[in-house]
Amino acid sequence: MIADITLREFIAGLFLAGGAFFLLASAIGMLRLPDFYCRLHASGNSETLGVMLSFMGLVIYEGLTLTSLKMIMIFLLIFLGNPIGTHILSKAAYKSGHHVWTLEEDAKEEKNHADLPH
Amino acid sequence: MHIIIVAIMVAVVCVIGMMLQRIYQGPTVYDRMNGLGVTGADTILLIILFGYLDGRPEMYVDIAMSYALIGFVGSVIIAKYLGGKDV
Amino acid sequence: MEKESILKDRTIVGSPLTHLFSLGILMFVFWLALSGDFAVKFVVYGLITSAVVAWICYPLLLLPNADGTKKYFALGVSPIAFLCYSMWLLKELVLANIDVVKATVRPELRIDPKVIRFVFRSDNPMAKVLLANSITLTPGTVTMNVTSEGIYEVHALTEGAAEGLLAGAMPRKVAELFGEEFDFTVLKGE
Repeated sequence: MIADITLREFIAGLFLAGGAFFLLASAIGMLRLPDFYCRLHASGNSETLGVMLSFMGLVIYEGLTLTSLKMIMIFLLIFLGNPIGTHILSKAAYKSGHHVWTLEEDAKEEKNHADLPH
Repeated sequence: MHIIIVAIMVAVVCVIGMMLQRIYQGPTVYDRMNGLGVTGADTILLIILFGYLDGRPEMYVDIAMSYALIGFVGSVIIAKYLGGKDV
Repeated sequence: MEKESILKDRTIVGSPLTHLFSLGILMFVFWLALSGDFAVKFVVYGLITSAVVAWICYPLLLLPNADGTKKYFALGVSPIAFLCYSMWLLKELVLANIDVVKATVRPELRIDPKVIRFVFRSDNPMAKVLLANSITLTPGTVTMNVTSEGIYEVHALTEGAAEGLLAGAMPRKVAELFGEEFDFTVLKGE
């Protein structure tokens, strides 16, 4: 089972594995980061790269057919569309007055023993 | 190749599960919307990988393309609604 | 209606016939890729459909600049220069992503979030759009707000990402792509 992997399948497998690694890293970052704007970084950027690498692996596996041309179109849509969604969500939160968390504030609040603002 | 695709599908399902935790737990509504956007993009990948398992990638690529268009437009529309009339 | 025909409009930068032709070719390539059937009847249908759609959609893609004096076509960049810009952007994307992943996966988080502001003015509105999109696409920085005078407010995650943005390589490349002069200042303070 391991011996009959061709070179094309091996390279496609490498790209797919890299894509899955970036997806998992972005999900872990999404659960750990302390503020909404920081979590937007983890999901908007790393997740886009993970999905893009996986798509490149699938295009390499498929070869040069009509299916791979459609996959390149989906790839372009996600490449241009995910940052637009991230930016407009960030703008909506900023215009509604959501507070930006920085490190000096965190140190000051721990000194004063106050609650974190929402 | 079959086993590589099954392994990647397990990883993507784990990521969607972690996003469900964020949707449940997020203190503001913008966190929940963020989790939904990530879930949408991962579902596109999941549909295409499932097409390889089924043996017919041509059909599933068309389905994934329609889902990508509708998901992206829906995400932008809900973000504009949440932002008030200034966005 | 008493409007002049769109082909004789004087305020459009570039020639409208070239724009219409390139838009039609783009629609036709998209149609062929989605259809997959190369019989003569379907190709003729595709040509007619793409020509009609290009004629209807063309006025929607003309963006006015800030004064209202000129109108720019939204897809009016040369494809080869745009391809070189995308290759550079992909390299930046992969390199910066590795830094962000290293900062968030470690057992102790090493982030330093802050908001930076700078001013970038340009005549072509597509240059502002492309710059905002490229800043969001680069990991570590997310564009929050672009005011109508050209003030960009950007949220940066780590120190390295903030330094890389304020050095000014990205606005310089965008201004080169659109043939404008480079007009970029950094606002200090709150």
